[in-house]
Amino acid sequence: MVDVTLTINGTTVSRSTTPRRLLSDFIREDLGYTGTHVGCEHGYCGACTILVDGEPARACLMLAVQADGLQLETVESLAPSPDALHEIQQAFQDNHGLQCGFCTPGMLMTAKALLADNATPTEEEVREQIAGNLCRCTGYSQIVDAILSVGPVVRETP
Amino acid sequence: MTIRETNPRHFGSRAARSEDPRFLTGQGRYVADLTNVGTVHARFVRSPFAHAKVISVETSEALATPGVLAVFTGSDWADIGITCVSSYPGFQSSRMPILAGDTVRYNGEAVAMVLADDEYVAEDAARMVFVDYEPLQPLVDIADALADGAPRIHEDWEDNVFVKRRFVSDGFQDALDAAPHVVTQKWEMARHSGTPIECRAVVATYEPGRDHLTVWTSTQIPHLIKSGLAAALGRSEDGIRVVSPDVGGGFGVKAQLYPEEVACAQAAIALHKPIRWVEDRREHLLTAHHSREHMHEATMAYDDDGRILAYGVEVRVNMGPYSVFPWTATMDTGMAMGILPGPYRVGEYSASGFPVATNKAPFGAYRGVSRPAACFTTERMLDQVARERGLDPLEVRRRNLLQSEDFPHRSIGGLVYDSGTVRECLELLVEWTNYEDLRVDQERKRADGRLMGIGVVPFIEQTAHTSQEFLQRGVPIVFGYETSKLRLTPDGRLIISASIHSHGQGLETTLAQMAADALGIGLADIRVEFGDTDQVPYGSGTFASRSAVLAGGAARLASLELRDKLARVAAYIFEAAAEDIVFTDGHVSVRGTPTRAMQLSELCRIVYQRPEQIPPGETPSLEVSTTYDAPPGTGTYTSAAHLAVVEVDAETGRVQIDDYAVVEDCGRMINPMIVEGQITGGVAQGIGSAMLEEFVYDDQGNLMTTTLMDYLMPTATDVPRVRIRHIETPSDTVAGVRGMGEGGAIAPGAVLAAAVEDALLPLGPVVVDRLPLSPERVLRYADRARSNGR
Ligand code: FES
Ligand code: FES
Repeated sequence: MVDVTLTINGTTVSRSTTPRRLLSDFIREDLGYTGTHVGCEHGYCGACTILVDGEPARACLMLAVQADGLQLETVESLAPSPDALHEIQQAFQDNHGLQCGFCTPGMLMTAKALLADNATPTEEEVREQIAGNLCRCTGYSQIVDAILSVGPVVRETP
Repeated sequence: MTIRETNPRHFGSRAARSEDPRFLTGQGRYVADLTNVGTVHARFVRSPFAHAKVISVETSEALATPGVLAVFTGSDWADIGITCVSSYPGFQSSRMPILAGDTVRYNGEAVAMVLADDEYVAEDAARMVFVDYEPLQPLVDIADALADGAPRIHEDWEDNVFVKRRFVSDGFQDALDAAPHVVTQKWEMARHSGTPIECRAVVATYEPGRDHLTVWTSTQIPHLIKSGLAAALGRSEDGIRVVSPDVGGGFGVKAQLYPEEVACAQAAIALHKPIRWVEDRREHLLTAHHSREHMHEATMAYDDDGRILAYGVEVRVNMGPYSVFPWTATMDTGMAMGILPGPYRVGEYSASGFPVATNKAPFGAYRGVSRPAACFTTERMLDQVARERGLDPLEVRRRNLLQSEDFPHRSIGGLVYDSGTVRECLELLVEWTNYEDLRVDQERKRADGRLMGIGVVPFIEQTAHTSQEFLQRGVPIVFGYETSKLRLTPDGRLIISASIHSHGQGLETTLAQMAADALGIGLADIRVEFGDTDQVPYGSGTFASRSAVLAGGAARLASLELRDKLARVAAYIFEAAAEDIVFTDGHVSVRGTPTRAMQLSELCRIVYQRPEQIPPGETPSLEVSTTYDAPPGTGTYTSAAHLAVVEVDAETGRVQIDDYAVVEDCGRMINPMIVEGQITGGVAQGIGSAMLEEFVYDDQGNLMTTTLMDYLMPTATDVPRVRIRHIETPSDTVAGVRGMGEGGAIAPGAVLAAAVEDALLPLGPVVVDRLPLSPERVLRYADRARSNGR
């Protein structure tokens, strides 16, 4: 067993875990943040996308021990309060950017990182940036519209 | 029966979805998110062979692994399995084992189940189960299985065809013989599947004290899973509860009873512990039921003007080894035989269907079921007719399409088209996309050496079909009706419990929209429940573009009954006539007398808590359960037309989709935003079918595409923006709606194949006869076109 201390959504947690435990399993099953979804466990679908020190990363491609000392953000960190949505979340609802909701947490975290990097992306840039996140339900256009619709204020202050 | 609200507020609006907030905040509850104290993790040992004798299964090392509680093998559960016998005469039945016994019949079939207190340990231990196989000759392709002297997939069968069915109209042969022109062509669609982003997952618990089993599973059909489990396990249905919580996409893949569901239930009973199995992506691609692998041999006779005189198709589908529950092995062949004539006047018709047993993975439903293949074949045939007669493909459609006056229409395929606006959809599409200008633009591009192509396809789709249709399909459980139970709470909120489910279709919102207006209640005050068989009425679940029509219709009817009762109570209290009671925005009042009004919540409270104030003879209850089966039960038809513009790069094989436009008529729309979302998502899946997706097997029957790097689904850069327009012709169902969940996925294969074939024409004529149009395959077509052109 190895001790891991990390910060998740602003809270510092310490756990001992096996060296081989995937970060995705650690987040979901040991820490209880089940908003991070697992769709392939081989780094392709993007459902498990979280932010690691502000950068998007695939939780299924990291081991929990590799996250020692790092800052993680999951979908649970987005909403400012239990009865309000973050602007990106609101944009997804307004534009019907989700259907079954399974890809949604990964999409939202990818969108957050992309808007932090580029406050005024073009449609093409959005499509390229989210091409690493599979959605089987929407056909993507509504997700693209959602991301493009997020106000510039939000884009600049992630 | 068309019931319209005089003042619809919610029906027809682009209401934001009620289910969104929980999905957006990570609070959705999918099966893999559930926790149970003391959970035991399951891992299946799967066959590396497509066809083999199982000589022995050695489990002692696995059992000796610390943390392992049990290992089950085929011999433990030899007497249970999944059967689904069609009532068609001559049907050869199969039994899908829970764990394979002495024979494995497809790559990935489970031979053992390892149970451990940790998921990682279960996976380690599964590698310590040693199975001795004696490989047998695998029957991979349809031709292998039909070859003379081919070994039998099932020893007691006469051959490898589940059932042979044939229909020939009386004048077919004469029409064929007399026709001036005949085209014959073979068409193929690759095996692929719905492949939701959430894989399958099951949690099963057993309470010995109550002899009660609960199975949480990611399924579209909770009650049917319960009935199927009861049959497989020999248990009574009251001792089983199936719960399907949030489902991360279904698309048909999750509309079958799977051996893993039975295995987890059986293990929970055996160990008295909660059992959890979360499928990994490799298992999903190997074993979650595949679909779409059709091969059609079609003959079309036509006159000088390109009018169809006779049409004959032999349909063969590669079904894998087993008949699946609840569909049997005849669904795809049967549906193709019915719908192949499509929206056209077909004078004489012949169809035969051969569901062929092979050593590929079992075959189940995928959005559109069979219709994508049928549409592909019929539309591709018409494109050949157009080319041979020197006509524009659009013109050939116009000459053959059914006209408004032809509806209702009993098709020669045996279906009853209640209504149809295919012609109207096509004409609007043509006008809206400036079809004539597109052809001019194409000439210009061709002159510049660019390969631009256009595909245009109208189709008609059976939706909301119920008992009459399923009776004809010979399935052992005849689906039909759906039931919605509406309850008003004492504080005036509405709970709708429905027998269907929702896995992205937004039915939590649209069912509320169906029920809201009659009661003047806001969507925020309505909660919709699905998926828990202890909570929701019996019914079939969600598949086949039926849920909004049937469960929505039931909800609408129940809401009207509740309104009538509330109106009687309010009339008594207000000393007014029940007809004068109006319900708006959470208020109940007497028409024209605004002073006589109260909150809906107050009225509900009176019914439940002050029964002495309600009229004599009324019960103090506000609960109505209504079942709706959309008579006559043969479905209401949705019409549509799709158009695509592509440009092909003949050096790389890349196909760029420059435009994709859809005109459709799904009747009155409950929520246009959701309708458009379903169409866009369906088209995206259809583009996957057309361009990317294929389960590739090697000649030994091993699946080669077992990761998402090999099995390619469309990404945001593959799917264009789909442009959509609507025609709204009310149907005869409650509220005038038609089903529309699958339509988007039906035409893209036919449209894009036509567009690519059209694009390649300057190189030479070629028939695009197989999907998907991967770059390699497009290059091969381009080569063939060049050599034909020489
Ligand atoms: S689960 Fe991590 S990328 Fe698919
Ligand atoms: S919303 Fe279902 S996978 Fe994206």
